[in-house]
Amino acid sequence: MRSSAVDKGLRTGVVFGIVIVTMFLIGFTVTGAGLVGKIFGVQSSYSTPPLVFFSIFMILVGAWAGVTASPRPLLEADTWNRALLAGGSSGAVSGLFSAIIGFLFGELNSNRIDPRTYLPSVSPESIKMFLFDQTPFIGSLLMFALMTGSGLAAAALSFYLRNNGAVRSSLRKASESVWDSIRSERVSNIIQNKYTRYASLLAFAAILIILPRTWGGYWNYVFGTVGIYIILGLGLNIITGWAGQLVIGYVAFFAVGAYTFALLTAPEPHHLMMNFWVALGLGVLAAAISGLLIGLPILNLRGDYLAIVTLGFAEIIRILLKSDLMTPYTAGPRGIRDIAGPTILGKSFISDVDFMYLIIIAVLVVTFLANRLQNSRTGKAWYAINLDETVARATGINAFASKLLALSLSAAVAGLAGVLFASRNQFTGPDDHALMVSINVICLVIVGGIGNIPGIFLGAFALKGLPEILRETENYRLLIFGVLLIVMMRLRPEGFLPAKRPELEKASVQNPLGKEA
Amino acid sequence: MMLKVESLQVFYGAIHALQGISFHLEKGEIVALIGANGAGKSTVLNTVSGILRPREGAVAFEDQEIHEVPPQEIVRRGVIQVPEGRKIFSRMTVTENLEMGAYTHTDRAEIARDMESVFERFSRLRERRNQLGGTLSGGEQQMLAIGRGLMAHPTLLLLDEPSMGLSPILVEQIFDIIQDINEQGTSILLVEQNAQMALAIADRAYVLETGKIVMQGTGDDLLKDPSVIEAYLGGH
Repeated sequence: MRSSAVDKGLRTGVVFGIVIVTMFLIGFTVTGAGLVGKIFGVQSSYSTPPLVFFSIFMILVGAWAGVTASPRPLLEADTWNRALLAGGSSGAVSGLFSAIIGFLFGELNSNRIDPRTYLPSVSPESIKMFLFDQTPFIGSLLMFALMTGSGLAAAALSFYLRNNGAVRSSLRKASESVWDSIRSERVSNIIQNKYTRYASLLAFAAILIILPRTWGGYWNYVFGTVGIYIILGLGLNIITGWAGQLVIGYVAFFAVGAYTFALLTAPEPHHLMMNFWVALGLGVLAAAISGLLIGLPILNLRGDYLAIVTLGFAEIIRILLKSDLMTPYTAGPRGIRDIAGPTILGKSFISDVDFMYLIIIAVLVVTFLANRLQNSRTGKAWYAINLDETVARATGINAFASKLLALSLSAAVAGLAGVLFASRNQFTGPDDHALMVSINVICLVIVGGIGNIPGIFLGAFALKGLPEILRETENYRLLIFGVLLIVMMRLRPEGFLPAKRPELEKASVQNPLGKEA
Repeated sequence: MMLKVESLQVFYGAIHALQGISFHLEKGEIVALIGANGAGKSTVLNTVSGILRPREGAVAFEDQEIHEVPPQEIVRRGVIQVPEGRKIFSRMTVTENLEMGAYTHTDRAEIARDMESVFERFSRLRERRNQLGGTLSGGEQQMLAIGRGLMAHPTLLLLDEPSMGLSPILVEQIFDIIQDINEQGTSILLVEQNAQMALAIADRAYVLETGKIVMQGTGDDLLKDPSVIEAYLGGH
């Protein structure tokens, strides 16, 4: 019994030890300390954060190790002895790893050997911080003690919380009462009340109107990008989420929209200087037509041809835009500058606030249209094709025409996003239309929940908003991104908000047509 | 004549699946195509419904050639296929599956009436109308597939292996239903490996072997034919 607790502690400790060593080697210990500092409201970018925050960060890691190792009540005997042994050994082992790596690098540092030749993130400052500004020997002892202590303390605390009747029952009572009040008739009446709904809509609209004015240019930029990605996600969702046809080179249609708009409105290279709204329409139209042309020869085939062809199309467009051949027509790798902003009655609206409004309106319009499409006859035909194309055709659906319509609608939406993007930046170049845009859009659709409109909003915020909020972790964005995707696919393979079939919700519907009962 | 198929030649790439098949179906008949796996029975149905295109030969429905008409148009003319292997939309509810069957119809009141009559015929489906198709039992899925076919108002119903994978009791039930549908005026082209059941309800039948019709006759005649008994009815 006792040995199995120690055993588990040792194993957990090794895992956490390796994680700590890795974090140290890639310089994440400094970033982590900086993040802790940020939580306490201390900005510390570009300088080593105070030791206090580093200690808190390491205590949190040690505590995590301790909690992870402590017994799981339903599977194992849950006793004080066991909890403390497991937590303590886990903390000690991870502390041992930390102490050894700290001692080694501390010695290197005091012998004036710079490890940055091989490990660019391990700066002398980060080593000093890892050793709490002490000599290597004392510092590593401190580290060992800190990790062991926090592992023990966390295991004890979690044991106490698990087994203390008063704490447990009061927690349960609290959560039950919250649930009861949410489920109670009064609350559900309030939620379902017509006026409350109008009021909340009004409040939502007020927030949308007020926020862009108050939170400043930086956040307008960040959330403008999120909005554009929401539009892209909604567009890709039509062909990939609903009709079930994978499109990898979705950025191609984005580029067609952006470049059509840019060439029509910019002074260079053609000096057409067209009106914003006319050019917007033409940009969307050009993207829709490009979708139609791509779809015509391949959509009567089944399988992943569309994915491959659009992938190729996206690369061709990007390379053409960069090439010398097209430079006289598309300004080549330099890109197109001075793209027009929106004008209404001759007055131009190009501030970041105006653009935020424009993007919000575009998101609302696209969301509304997407929602209407999903529940339409066409939407059902797409879903049928997605589920089984042969059967769909046997029920009289023109699969080719339906898929073609889905692809050109998708492309048109991407074109709209491209127009907004180019107009907001007043610039567009070939590098704005790299394949990474497509991959990001696919990821946000999958992470959010494929086929589900709220899921796409969530996915866009998670993938385009969060990284901006976590600027501190910029170097690790892709690392965190990858980990997030793996964790997501393990925990929620259908996305954060999986698509629900609405008819399942209303099990009591009497009318076979699914109208309101 | 409701359906006339003449010297049909169909290829899958280099594979010569149908090697000159001719048969016909009169209004109100049940005609069965029987034969072993790979004889080309499903290919015939897929060609009639327009999903496959013949290289040579002709398919005429109500005296109009349809072998170059797209499948959705053939559905509109009243030739409805119920695909093999209980192919339903497994992630749609029963109701949604039936609505998909009426995809070519737009009159919502009429769709509601049709759905009601499907529910009358298959009361199990009414009980399970908000359940996902994939959660139904095998027999219920076959009923749903047939019900979905009926939603489109077929004048000719193409049934592909309706007995596949069902227990003997369910097979009996399904064949009773098929006869009942036929008595209410729908002609039926039935493809079956279960020759015993198919021949018992068919007015006439054709025996397919490796892409050719090798025998034909009334259902009763074929049931008594020694070579059919030998090959398809388990000897004796």
